[in-house]
Amino acid sequence: MLLRRLLLRNHRNYAHLDISMEPGVNVFLGANGQGKTNLLESVAMLALSASPRARREVELVGPVAAASRIEAEVESSGRRMELVIALNVEGERARRTIEVDGARRRAVDLPGHFRVTLFWPDDLGLIKAGPDQRRRFLNQLLVQVQPGYARALSGLRRILEQRNSLLKRIAAGEAAADQLDVWNAELVRVGTEVVDARASAVNELAPEAARCHAEIGSGERLEIQYLGPPEDMAAAVHNSLAEDLRRGSTSIGPHRDDLRVLLGGQDARGYGSQGQQRTAVVSLKLAEADLVARRTGERPVLLLDDVLSELDLERRGALLRHVGGGGQVVITSVDVGPFPPDLIANASIWNVEAGQIKACG
Amino acid sequence: MPQLPEPLERLVQELSRLPGVGPKTAQRLAFHLLRADRQRAESLAQAIADVKARIGYCERCYNIAEGSLCAICSSPRRDASVICVVESALDVLAVERTAEFNGLYFVLHGVISPIDGIGPDQIHVPQLLERAREEGVEEVIVATDADIEGEATAVYLQRALAPLGIKVTRPAHGLPVGGDLEYADELTLARAMAGRRSF
Repeated sequence: MLLRRLLLRNHRNYAHLDISMEPGVNVFLGANGQGKTNLLESVAMLALSASPRARREVELVGPVAAASRIEAEVESSGRRMELVIALNVEGERARRTIEVDGARRRAVDLPGHFRVTLFWPDDLGLIKAGPDQRRRFLNQLLVQVQPGYARALSGLRRILEQRNSLLKRIAAGEAAADQLDVWNAELVRVGTEVVDARASAVNELAPEAARCHAEIGSGERLEIQYLGPPEDMAAAVHNSLAEDLRRGSTSIGPHRDDLRVLLGGQDARGYGSQGQQRTAVVSLKLAEADLVARRTGERPVLLLDDVLSELDLERRGALLRHVGGGGQVVITSVDVGPFPPDLIANASIWNVEAGQIKACG
Repeated sequence: MPQLPEPLERLVQELSRLPGVGPKTAQRLAFHLLRADRQRAESLAQAIADVKARIGYCERCYNIAEGSLCAICSSPRRDASVICVVESALDVLAVERTAEFNGLYFVLHGVISPIDGIGPDQIHVPQLLERAREEGVEEVIVATDADIEGEATAVYLQRALAPLGIKVTRPAHGLPVGGDLEYADELTLARAMAGRRSF
């Protein structure tokens, strides 16, 4: 998987950017606030459809005009494709248009054309953070490798909105309780697709994550477990009706899932030190990139946003061994400090300053 | 923007209420009508008035109709034992173009959507059930969209109709006719493989 060329127009602080990336390691250097993360965000959007960090899409549109555009030339299995994500501000919202090779696509149909593994400082808190962030970890992986997952996920969100709205209407006496049956059935049908995909992904991630963890070498065994809804989801959904009606929301379903991370048999959330938790995160991220490569036969583009400086030597070393493994890598950093000289010698180095990017040899 | 003369402003306002027409398009259309022959403009106004005066909904299936029954319901050649349920009158046209279906229709004019306050009663489900019971219907094809609300509506109808001993079916998902297998998107191909049938 290769990102050949990236064009940004009015994306965040980039009024106009046009760069051709190199197949190996691309290092983007610059002080904070110059646009390093914005650059990586735009690349991640090409893989995920949506920004992994923006709360509202209008945030992405820069100050120059009421529209923004991300354009890329990517190469997958030797085949070149052009991807476009355009945003048009309409009132308070931004309307998103997506094209693959000039043909309009729905947002759920973009992922899978271009694949990345994104690792940024937010991820370092993955173990400590709430379950929603660990679900996002699984979602970002699965939309890219599992056909139909993005659609199932967006369907699940819609079903929950509809079901929760109906619960409130029933509680207010505006609708009959028998209407819940179809939404329970839909929740179970689409929920099962999501659950199956997550369960098998966690099974596939586990051995590689454990292997990476052993390699970085803190001695403890790393295990991960998928915590999904009860096996008989239909019965559980049915049994929770009274509770759901009282709360006006859905208590059973994959929207409550979690990924449990264990170190030496103990829950890493409460038990691990910050260093141990970070080792676990690096292992999970490497396992993620490995899973994408195994499922698709092609390494994802690795996006590392200023994480090297946050890691100690051993963890950095494990990550860099992977970086040196041959796939395309896009790394941002404040300076060359965290990089070994031989990596810098073979990398393409770029300078990022105030929304401008220049190659620097 | 400078103030337009009141009648023109009102026309722009009315046009911009149409689906798919934004303020810019509405202005362009309004100025186009302003420049057009008086006869053309009046003919458009008359056509709109006629549609509202002469076209209503079929009492039996809620399709568009010029009298109390639509052309399909009043045709003696149609098979009354099969009903195809669709979301809109436009869907009737789509199915009719195939010339494959010789039964009757039932137009829901919507789908079940609690967020929008639309339940089975708002899309005439009781009338459909009554019709199914009284007219000796053998099969109901639920041709709602394959999105979340369309699927939920299909499930609701299936559950309501099955106890009446009526066969309930859904159109199949699959490969486009004449399409190359290698160009089919993965999900469509996966559905087509799952729904394969023997020769």
